[in-house]
Amino acid sequence: MKKALAGSCILVILLFLNACAPKQKTPLVVFAAGSLIQPFNDLEKAFELKYPDIDVQTEYHGSIQVMRHVTDLHEEIDIVATADQSLIPMLMYQVDIPGTTIPYANWFISMASNRLAIAYTPESKYQEEINQENWWEILSREDVKVGLSDPRFDAVGYRQLMVFALAQDVFGKGDIFDTFLQHQFTKEIRLVDMGDIKIIRIPEILETTGTSHIMMRGSSVALISLLEAGEIDYAFEYESVIQQHGFEMLRLPSALNLGEDSFSDAYGKVTVKMDFQRFASVDPVFKGEQIKYGLTIPSNAPHPEAAAEFIQFLYSSEGQAIMAQNAHPLITPLTGSNLENLPAKLQILLTIK
Amino acid sequence: MNKRPFPPGFAIAGSILILFIILPVLVTLLSVSLQSLLETITDREVARSIGLTFIAAAIATSLGLLFGLPLAYIMARVKFPGKSLLSGIIDLPLIIPHTAAGIALLLVFGRQGILGGPLSNLGIFFTDRLGGIVVGMMFVSLPLLVNASREAFHSVNPELEHAARVDGANAWQVFWNITLPLAWRGILSGAITMWARGISEFGAVAILAYSPKIIPVLIYERFQGFGLSSATPVAALLMILVLIVFLVLRWLASSVDAEV
Repeated sequence: MKKALAGSCILVILLFLNACAPKQKTPLVVFAAGSLIQPFNDLEKAFELKYPDIDVQTEYHGSIQVMRHVTDLHEEIDIVATADQSLIPMLMYQVDIPGTTIPYANWFISMASNRLAIAYTPESKYQEEINQENWWEILSREDVKVGLSDPRFDAVGYRQLMVFALAQDVFGKGDIFDTFLQHQFTKEIRLVDMGDIKIIRIPEILETTGTSHIMMRGSSVALISLLEAGEIDYAFEYESVIQQHGFEMLRLPSALNLGEDSFSDAYGKVTVKMDFQRFASVDPVFKGEQIKYGLTIPSNAPHPEAAAEFIQFLYSSEGQAIMAQNAHPLITPLTGSNLENLPAKLQILLTIK
Repeated sequence: MNKRPFPPGFAIAGSILILFIILPVLVTLLSVSLQSLLETITDREVARSIGLTFIAAAIATSLGLLFGLPLAYIMARVKFPGKSLLSGIIDLPLIIPHTAAGIALLLVFGRQGILGGPLSNLGIFFTDRLGGIVVGMMFVSLPLLVNASREAFHSVNPELEHAARVDGANAWQVFWNITLPLAWRGILSGAITMWARGISEFGAVAILAYSPKIIPVLIYERFQGFGLSSATPVAALLMILVLIVFLVLRWLASSVDAEV
């Protein structure tokens, strides 16, 4: 009897301590694309200085993974920022929160753009010869280590494959894609060329062969340390990320970098398909288009007020300056999808010029 | 009532802890249907990964025995200045977080690493190769083998070794014929623990050799990328296999011991 009493006393005390932990801050859970780590870290610090009652808790993943945490793992998230805005209508508009008829989201802001480029270092092999014309040939050399991010999990992953497919038309050579990728994976990534449209098919199991000169990781930011350590010579990254880390950068021509609005039709000739059921309800297909980051507050966000404050801060002059300092400027004036559904607190952003 | 040799409450406390260990394992095993388990067994990626993991851990353990037994023997038998410092060094991998260990290993065994650089000129690579997996597993699990072997050697009566030496046996003969046969059960137990610890390593290996994927990496990737329904059967299968191997090895060790 005494034991039980002592035990339950301890339990009650523990619960009590837990409940009255000093200074209960409102947690603001932000799930963002890996390429936003640096600017969002800076934003977090500046925001918390201004809003000491809010504790920003960030988590970074490949963009597809970010979505999975919302819709498949049902985590309660306040802000979602993905490197591919098309993922939001594809996976959040179409999927209802379990037990309701409310979709996970019904609006998003087109936050920023970016351009795909090739990162390398002064130690990278053949770095003195690489240029906008021959990069695909150098990256295909057996003795060159190339870092790829996994197209099943990350937006750079499928976008870099689009670059190789598009390069075939730009350089007028039909084997650029295969020369780079063939025999590198235990199951091949295939390019089906149907004339005016090209389809890239990703197998369910994607693993490099034992002799491959490609190193694959779950997201593009996971390649950064490998590049720094000299494990890889080149990696596909966003220009903002390359600039943040001070790597050497080979810019890709507009027809290939997926960053120019005026080239949208050309980008749209490539589509990436997964040869397997990736999500519970939706089969994602990725059509080539200009890179746009999408930002939304999920309908089941536990702290929508704090989330709106964070987004307001992002678009304040201070927030915009932080993004610009990180070579990742916001798109203004505000564009996006279903902006009439923006929370009342964010409607004011529509007046930004 | 009967007199218990331990204070009241100890049994309850102990039971809670045992439950704490068993419950997650049990829940994992029970949450998997027989069908999905069968599908997982026939999944070639899983089979390949499990094979790779078991073999890599076995190689790591063999290397551990080769270099660790001499060290353990010296530690058990010889008194020398700086011994406790050496002990601390042996335990270092136990206290270094494994992701940190992975980074440290990358700096040594990576393509540009202190050892990895020169070795890569000879065509020997560690990153994303079997070698990297073995190195990662070995680093984090070595102390378990060395410390267990040291204990085992320590429990062998030095008088026996001394008597053999007096009878004319050389140091090698004494070690092979006297010390090792008497200490081997403790060493085997240490080797099993090291092997099992190697299999379970994630952090260090994921940094040094994410692919080819060992089973902890594969489980993580499936959990991250494909969800619980995809990761749980693999986790359950791994638990079953490890339990079987562990029980068989333990049984082997104890039955041989019973014959002696």
